[in-house]
This record gives sequence, C-alpha cells and structure tokens, in this order.
Amino acid sequence: METFDLVVIGAGPGGYPAAIRAAQLGARAAIIEKEQLGGTCLNWGCIPTKALIAAAETFEKIKHAERFGITVKDASVDYSVMIGHKNKVVQQLRGGIKSLLTANGVKQFTGTASFVDRNTLEVNGERIGAKKIIIATGSTSAMPGFLPKHERVVESRAFLDIQKLPASMIVMGGGFIGCELACMAAMLGVKVTIVELSEDILMLLDADVRREVRTHMEKDLGIRMLTGKALEKISADAKGVRGNFGDETLSADLLLCAVGRKPVTDGLKLENVGLKTTDRGFIQADDHCRTSVANIYAIGDVTGKIQLAHYATSQGIAAAENAVRPKSEKHEMIVPNVIFTSPEVGTAGLSEDDAKKQNRAVKTGKFRFSGLGKGLATGETTGFVKWIADATTDQLLGAAAVGPHATELVAEAAAVIRSELTTHELGRTIHAHPTFSEVWMEAAHALHGECIHAPPKRKA
Amino acid sequence: MATPIIMPKFGQMTEESAIVEWLKKEGDKIAAGDILFTVETDKSVMEVESFEAGTLIKIVVPPKVNVPVQSTVGFLGTPGEPIPTVTAPAPAAPKRAEAAPAPAASTPKPATQAAPVAATASIAPAVSATTAAVPAVPAIFRISPRAAALAKNCVIDPARIRGTGPEGRIVEKDVRGYLQERGYDKLRISPAAKQRAALEKLDILSITISGGDNRITTADIDRALAERPRAMSKMRQIIAQRLTQSVVTAPHFFVTVEADMTDLVKFRGELKAKGAPYSVTDFISEAVVLTLKEFPDVNSSTDGKSIRWNSKINLGIAVSLEQGLVVPVIRNADDLTLGELNQRTKELAEKARGGKLGPDEMSGSTFTISNMGMMDVENFTAIINTGESAILAVSSTLKKAVVRDDKVVARSIMKMTLSADHRIIDGAMAAKFTNAIKQKLEDIELWKRLTS
Repeated sequence: METFDLVVIGAGPGGYPAAIRAAQLGARAAIIEKEQLGGTCLNWGCIPTKALIAAAETFEKIKHAERFGITVKDASVDYSVMIGHKNKVVQQLRGGIKSLLTANGVKQFTGTASFVDRNTLEVNGERIGAKKIIIATGSTSAMPGFLPKHERVVESRAFLDIQKLPASMIVMGGGFIGCELACMAAMLGVKVTIVELSEDILMLLDADVRREVRTHMEKDLGIRMLTGKALEKISADAKGVRGNFGDETLSADLLLCAVGRKPVTDGLKLENVGLKTTDRGFIQADDHCRTSVANIYAIGDVTGKIQLAHYATSQGIAAAENAVRPKSEKHEMIVPNVIFTSPEVGTAGLSEDDAKKQNRAVKTGKFRFSGLGKGLATGETTGFVKWIADATTDQLLGAAAVGPHATELVAEAAAVIRSELTTHELGRTIHAHPTFSEVWMEAAHALHGECIHAPPKRKA
Repeated sequence: MATPIIMPKFGQMTEESAIVEWLKKEGDKIAAGDILFTVETDKSVMEVESFEAGTLIKIVVPPKVNVPVQSTVGFLGTPGEPIPTVTAPAPAAPKRAEAAPAPAASTPKPATQAAPVAATASIAPAVSATTAAVPAVPAIFRISPRAAALAKNCVIDPARIRGTGPEGRIVEKDVRGYLQERGYDKLRISPAAKQRAALEKLDILSITISGGDNRITTADIDRALAERPRAMSKMRQIIAQRLTQSVVTAPHFFVTVEADMTDLVKFRGELKAKGAPYSVTDFISEAVVLTLKEFPDVNSSTDGKSIRWNSKINLGIAVSLEQGLVVPVIRNADDLTLGELNQRTKELAEKARGGKLGPDEMSGSTFTISNMGMMDVENFTAIINTGESAILAVSSTLKKAVVRDDKVVARSIMKMTLSADHRIIDGAMAAKFTNAIKQKLEDIELWKRLTS
C-alpha cells in the first residue's frame, strides 16, 4: 500500500491548491478526483458562466454601440458557438491544473474515495495510506423533490450544456447563481422570470445594493421579478413548464432551479472514521479547518460556511499548511464576494446590516459612478460604491460596490480592510485619474462630508 | 481662599469610595446643605451635602473612580479665584497592570486624568490609615507641552519616560530618546489599531503582537483592552472580602461522607407522581435542620474567645447568580414543616434570581448549605459563611458501583462534605454530625412520617 503525508479528496478550487501547497512544503501529496480536475468552479460554475456572460455582455455592448456612432446591423447570436468557446476555456484550464499537479509531484487518482479507517482510503478497490487527509468534496445543486423529472427542468450544471437557449425561462431562486444566469439569458434575448420565496433577491446584500441591482435587472434587461411567495404546482411536458405564483399561472420553455447547493459526502463512508455531519449534511470544520477527527481536515463547500471558490482556496492552503507544519494558523477571514449580474456586485468585509447587528456605531460613505469622468466617458454610469466604517475609530469595516467592474474594484476594498486602514487614509491615497477606482476615494471623502466632486450635503 | 471638598468616610470599615454622580457642575452656586454628589459605599448610595456656601470652582475627581476616603474631590470658592494645584488622587484600585506589582512607584498620569497639565503640580492625596502602610508619594510629574504632544501623537505613555529638564521635567528630547531606545521606528501598527489605541489611551509600546505579520492589529488592541484590569462589582468585592476574612480567621477542616440516595430518590419520584411538591433539596434541608437540633455547637458562632449558641436555626442556602453569589436565609427553619420549608425555599430562590431579596432575607443565617447537585460534581468543599461554625457542601447524586451484602450493586450515591471551624468543632463532632445527616437521608420511614 502506497502511503502519503497528505491525501486530498476532491480536486476543486479548494482541493488542488491544498495538494500543491503541501507538495511545496515538501510533503508527499496525492489527490483523488471522481470527475474532472477543477471541480464545480472550473467545469460547471464560475469559469463556464463567466465565459458565457462575457459573450452575452459583448452582445449587449454591440446593441448599445450606437451612442458611440457605431452601427452594427443584423448582430445575431449563435449560442452553440458560445458554448464551444466556453468548453475550450474549460478544457484549457483543466489541462493547466493537471500539469501544475504533475509538476509539483502530486500523485493523481481518479475515482470515488471512501474511508477505510482514519489513515486509509480506498479508490477503485485500491488502498491508499494517508497521515493527514483533507476532505474537499464540494457541493452540488439541490433539486427539491417536488420538481418534476423532465428535460425542461434543469439545474445550473445541465443548463450550461444546453445547445440552444429557450425563448422563455423561469428561474426558481433569486440567489447569485439564479440572478447571474438570468442576466446572461436576458441579455441574449430570453424572456426571463425570477421567482424567489424571500421578500427580495440577493438577500445577503444591504437593501440599497439590492435595490440598485433589482431596478436595473427589471428595467434594462426586462427580467420579471416575483418575490415573497413560492412557485407552486409545477408541471412540465413536451409543450413547456408551468407553475403558480399566487393566483397567476406562469409558463415558459424551461425551468432553471437555483435554490441552493448541498454538500457531497456520498460514498465517503464517513461512518468508518466516526465523522458526523450536521443535520444539513455538512462536515463541520473550525477556523483552522480541523474536523472532529484529529488527522482529518475539511474545506470549501462541504463545510457549509461560505460557498465561494476563493474562500475554499484560502481554506485549502491554510489546511495544507496546518496539516503539514507543526504550527496551526487560522484561515483568512476577509472574503470578497462577487456577483456577475448586470450591474455587477462586489462586497468585502461587513455589510452595513451586519455591522449594525454587531451593535457597532457605523458611518457610511457613498459615491455614484455617474459622478466619475471615466464612467461618463465609457457610458457606464449605473450604480455606486459604499464604505462602511467604524464611527469612532474610522476603521474600514466593509465595502459594497454595485456597477461597472464592481467585481474587479472590490479587490482594493478587500486589501485595505484586511490592512485595517481608516477611511481618512484611503481618502488620501492617490487614485489614478481617470479610472473607475477613483470611486473608492470619493466615497471615503463622502463619509466625512468632504467630497470634492459632489455638492455639500444640505444641513437639515 | 478655596475650600477643599473632602470624600467623607462612611463607617469604620470604609477605605475607599467612588462618586456615583456629581449633582452640581463647575460654576454652580452652592448653599450650605446643598447636595453636591452621591457616593457608592458597601451597602448603599449616600448623598453628600456641602458644609459651606460658595461656588463649585473645580471638580477634581470624576464619577466612578475609586479614591481613598478623605481625599480632596473638588473645591469651593469664589469664581475666578485661583484653584489650588492638585492632581486627581491616584485611583485606589490600580487601573493598570503595571501599577499593581509596585505600588510605591505608582505615578499619577496627568495625561489620562482630568486635570490639565498647565494648571497642575501635584500634592499627595490625603492618605487614609490603611494606605499609609504603603507610603503613596506620587512622584511629581512634569512634562513640557511639546513633549506631551509628541507622546500623545505617538500613542505612548509618557509616565515611563525619565525627564532631564529642570526638576526632572520631561522635554521633547527625552521623548525622542525614549522612542529610539524602545525601537519605536521599527514598530508596525495598522492605522485602525493606532487610532483605537489613541482613543482608549493605550501605550502602543506595551502591546504584544499575536499575528504572523509582526504588526499590531485591531485584534491585538482588543486583547489589550480585554486584559485591562476592571473594577470588580460591589457584589464581588463583598464576596472577596467576606470569604477571605473567613478563610483567614476560621481554621477550616473537612469531612466527607457519602449518602445512599437510591431509596429517597425513588420515594421522591413516587411522591411527585402523586402531586407532592418536595424536591431532594427540601429533604436535605430538613435533615440538616433536624441534625442541627441534636448538635447545638454546630449552630453556634465564635470570636475565638467565647461561643454563642443560636437558639433558632436560620438556614442559609447558597444561590449562584450570573453576577455572583447570594445566600438567602430561611429564618426559623426549625419551626417549619417540610411543606413550609419547600414553599419558603421556592420563594427565596425566585426572589434571589430576580434580585429582589431584602437585606433581612440575606443576613442572620446560623448554618449554610451549598448545593452543587445540579452541576455534575463528584465532591467539593465550601468556605464557611463568616459568623457560622460550619457549612455543608452537597455534591451530585451519581450512579456508583458499591458493595452491599458483599455484592457489587449500582446505587445512587451523593457525597456531602462538611467544612467546620476547628475553633468550635473537633473532628469527631464533625464526623458524627455529617453521619447523622446521612442516616436521616437514608431513613425512608422518617420521610414517610414527615410527608404523611
């Protein structure tokens, strides 16, 4: 039996960096993957959706190019080519991971892993010894049992492989997956209706950010939003899908279910090591990624914390270091969150609601992209950014951006929040002109009522 | 001539007090008999009147700062009159860790206290009898405005700097030298952490770095703030004082006995099924009361020269609250039936939890029971309530393998440990007393009789 210092189960964005990090630190590392290297993120999540959204946004820009004096006649979409582009990107990245793992000397196994005991795993009948194990098995779309089993009812993974877009679709679930795919489809001309059980879409965001996204999705993309009630009596047949929202019957060609993700632990035989899961099936891990079994760590979606690829990566690196080195450290806590809707959203640190829930005295400063020279020049004036700062110490606690390039802009916010900068200092930092990044500086000035490019607030 | 306002001494035992609230502010006209401020003492909040008329020209001691009694807390006089040079008295409770181990070297910190530097030299506060043992002569603290501003800007405590100016005055050069000596330029701190430290008046040179980046972060500031000594609540201070007094004056010894509660627990279950309210605690209280009648010396108190027997049994029951410990007292427990005992215990426990016990419901006990039965403990010892001669510590009832008729059987066993004051009680008496309680608890016929 071959024995390793560390074996990682699952080669997603949490697992493969963990294996590489362990190898960098001199450990004999192995990784087990049952499907494709890169996991959900690369194959059926982050990357493929962004390939399609980039294509859809290009089409959207062409449609609105006339204000720049550019007229494109008969612009049309060949969705199967878009899918082809997406598949090419995915394939290339998968190859990249494979060569990285190989170059670092990480032994790769393909198959479903199961625990024999706390130091032994089994893959395809072969036994592998492991001093330390990281579980990074991720999650999969949850499909509620009441949904009809029909080809017109899909979750996100299957949706990304359809060769032809439907004329109309219902998106069940107004979380970030549902909203991103709804925006993408709407930009390509699909008539989209989002049905969300909660009172609003994207409930993790502050109300002002939500309002901005929702307004533009409704007005500019023509997406219909139905919130506050469940979609009931869902049926599907050769003609289409139907469901009731209150008294109204909705019908469409396709139903996309995006109501959340459930952990993947099937086949792991966790009972053989006495590892218990929560009532929702997640494996509990602490801030050092340790589980209740001393030599077993867990990271990423399967832990049910924040279900984001880059969070899993950060956890994976921390877990690998903790597993291989004698000194244990906590994984990073400032996690930027990005949503590729139209307009885009990026947040980092605390939301205004969270900060208030912690009973902190907070101050906020906002600045709209319509106040920026660069925004006007490029015609991208939707949205704003917001700083959330401690009212007594001026410390930057959180940031939210909604608007052009928000997902890129949030990187600066995450770095300064982690460095514990104050709004005063951020406001004094020179930001290049004319760029979108100036918006952070302006918002920091706004927090102290010292905006150069906004009229002073009238005193009540 | 300005007249000092003095922190009065309430009662012989009071060594220090804190002003709760100033009812007058600087500049107010005061008539003799006006109430100036309120003071928190061990027992209550008292109002302090002015003996003289005049204007309150200076408040020296802000509210919530413990100062020795007889200290000057403010001045009466005529408006515009020069205020005598006084710093706030050193707070009686050391506010900072570094002041604690070496009280003789404690230095008032004008930067952190109310009085502005320019208006103050320093005089020693009136020293009360007890603090006189440690001659608290605060060094005269002189610092130039530029030096003070530099120290403030750097978020450091200037009190640790040795002054080289006239009369030991700290000048800017001293601060710069100190900063260099302490490696201030190599210190890394996040901007938010520095801001927070300045607001909280921490010395950033005294903060330990915990993170891997070798930089002071807000987490380090949070830790420093959490470590800062804080005043104990009045309640905890009283607990500290009483229990220390007991341990120091009463020579404790301990006797542990285990009672087989199997039958009593079963009997109590049967009673409960019939709707009777009794708890196991009631049975223990009753057994103790009955036994105290047989051992009058245990229901006595001593000052080391004489023994006073208490004819009535006032049973104290220790109740743990979030803020501390209270001991409600069941008066004349020897006159109560088991039903009355149950009723009274419930009433007092409820009042205790609601913080509604009156003073006479918390004093005068002659014997105390401390029951940790619900805390899953094998055994523990308690400290005698001052003025009593013993206390019974009751532990959890646990299933144990014990030997009965040469066979190992499972029984419900409860350990009880008597802490006794050896000045009154000797080992034999303590053993007999505790075993007498055990025998009662194991005597089911007794409980059948008492509950019928």
